[in-house]
Amino acid sequence: MPKLSADERLQRLLALIPWVASRDGPRVDDACARFGCTQAELVDDLELLFLCGLHPYTPDVLIDVDIADGRVWIRYAEYFERPLRLTPAEGLALLAAGRAVLATSGGDDDGPLGRGLDKLAGAMGVDAAEAVEVELGAVACDVLRTLRDATAGSRQVEIDYYSFGRDERARRVIDPYAVFSAAGQWYVSGWCHRVDDERLFRVDRVADATMLESTFEAPAKAPELSAYRPDAGDPRVTLDLDPSARWVAEQYPTEEVTELDGGRLRVTLVASQPAWLERLLLRLGPQAAVVDGDRELAAVAARRLLVRYQG
Amino acid sequence: MHRLERLINLVAALLHAERPLTADELRHRLPGYAEDNGAFRRAFERDKEALRDLGIPVVVEPVDDAAQPGVVGYRIPKEAYYLQDPGLAPDELAALHLAASAVRLEGANGVEALWKLGGELAEQGPLSGGGAVAAIPGTAHLGPVFAAISARRRIGFTYRGRRRQVDPWRLSFRNGHWYLAGHDQDANEERMFRLDRLESDVEVTGDEGAFDRPAHAGDQPPPWQMGAEEALTARLLVDAGQAAWAAGHVGPDAVEKWRTDGSVVLAVRVTNRDAFRSFVLGFLDHAEVLGPPELRAEFVEWLEGLCRS
Repeated sequence: MPKLSADERLQRLLALIPWVASRDGPRVDDACARFGCTQAELVDDLELLFLCGLHPYTPDVLIDVDIADGRVWIRYAEYFERPLRLTPAEGLALLAAGRAVLATSGGDDDGPLGRGLDKLAGAMGVDAAEAVEVELGAVACDVLRTLRDATAGSRQVEIDYYSFGRDERARRVIDPYAVFSAAGQWYVSGWCHRVDDERLFRVDRVADATMLESTFEAPAKAPELSAYRPDAGDPRVTLDLDPSARWVAEQYPTEEVTELDGGRLRVTLVASQPAWLERLLLRLGPQAAVVDGDRELAAVAARRLLVRYQG
Repeated sequence: MHRLERLINLVAALLHAERPLTADELRHRLPGYAEDNGAFRRAFERDKEALRDLGIPVVVEPVDDAAQPGVVGYRIPKEAYYLQDPGLAPDELAALHLAASAVRLEGANGVEALWKLGGELAEQGPLSGGGAVAAIPGTAHLGPVFAAISARRRIGFTYRGRRRQVDPWRLSFRNGHWYLAGHDQDANEERMFRLDRLESDVEVTGDEGAFDRPAHAGDQPPPWQMGAEEALTARLLVDAGQAAWAAGHVGPDAVEKWRTDGSVVLAVRVTNRDAFRSFVLGFLDHAEVLGPPELRAEFVEWLEGLCRS
């Protein structure tokens, strides 16, 4: 635990004093666990209190602190009878964290977390479910749990994974390095034994995860993988976009954008994953034309989809 | 004397005071302040700042004393300082602790908030163990906006070059960004504002309790329900490989039935057909629009158009 500044110690003391004072000699180790400090730090802080109180600081108006037999008492601090109210940012931090966990773990509003959030929000004058909403990405709770456990225990996992970019589903064995949420999605990063390289997987695309007996050695520093890594060798495609499709240039990383007549745009995009480009062209339909690249891609994909509608 | 001692004594004196105490009074009552005038002033300003940074409501009021006209004093109103104890049971506190250690909001410390509520109590759960699993980015606007939401006060800010007056209803974190939903007074309708695009500080312009929040404000429907077209119920077959993801995405209420081969039939309410088509195309050839017939025909027509071009 890093050493706290005077302001942080003050913050902890202002919470600790009412907690101890409202109890009849709670255990020192319980107080330490609750307030995240060592016994020495706690004693340090409490010793300061011996000289605190009200003007004129005669014994009758000083705060009385007693530590004996592993228990602690604080008396004569009536003005500290209750803790300081939560700041809006603190209240929001708790509500946001709680709402996020509820949404991620399948949301049982009647469980301890749901009840705690309701009480907390009530004290702040809001309704927890109405005032704050946090989406970290929808995932299956058991899959997330398995991946987290495997990461913590350095165990290999077999996942049944759908690659959105390649439109391909396969089982892979991975060494999961880290599980995290970023930009509204959950990811697991790790070593993929199928491709013998580091990969980033979206947890919502993991249909099934099984923890294996085999372990792996986690790298000293987990590599930083970003969700999107364009490569100089990746294929490029150049499109002419109608005015109604200009959003493409805002939504996806572009290499070149040129204004054409009538509000049309010419953009060059990195299309390392063929299924991604197929989806984009199928969605845009007549609003986009391939200028440079595989001009037949959309038509070939459309014919493949149409097979389902024949007969 | 340790600065921490002086700060504790300062809080005690201001909380205990029945009337505002002047800086001079505080200087003489509190041990540890310098004799030198300038040094005292600097230390006192720094202490007040430190208390306010922690959210301690140090108020400034005129001293009601004919002998000292224009002189101000300081105190901490008890009602503004004391926490309204939400009365959390140990299992509720433990669950909140678990949540706060798994999901951290940048710039605000949920753990320090828990101290005030009775300390940290560990518990095991689906997200327990290890460090934070998700860090939510913060912005400086979050605190003031949330304060205005809880107090139901109107706020003003600049957004896309225009000054707005907004009754704030709800904060949402989606796709990596914080959004505020509220009633825009000039537009006279509900609007969403991305907080990182605010072009000014948030200014409180209204009184407390000035409006009522409508139920489920800011709930955003899926894209295929963001339209004014006549509603229809689309039936969509999704193959086994994508079925679980698709069902999770549209919600359990839209599941018509699971087939024995693992595929699923979804019944989805649609008021924006273009958006629904885009959603279905995302499945490539792993899904099929079953009906109604006119929607299926439109879908086929779209694909045939792509084959011709």
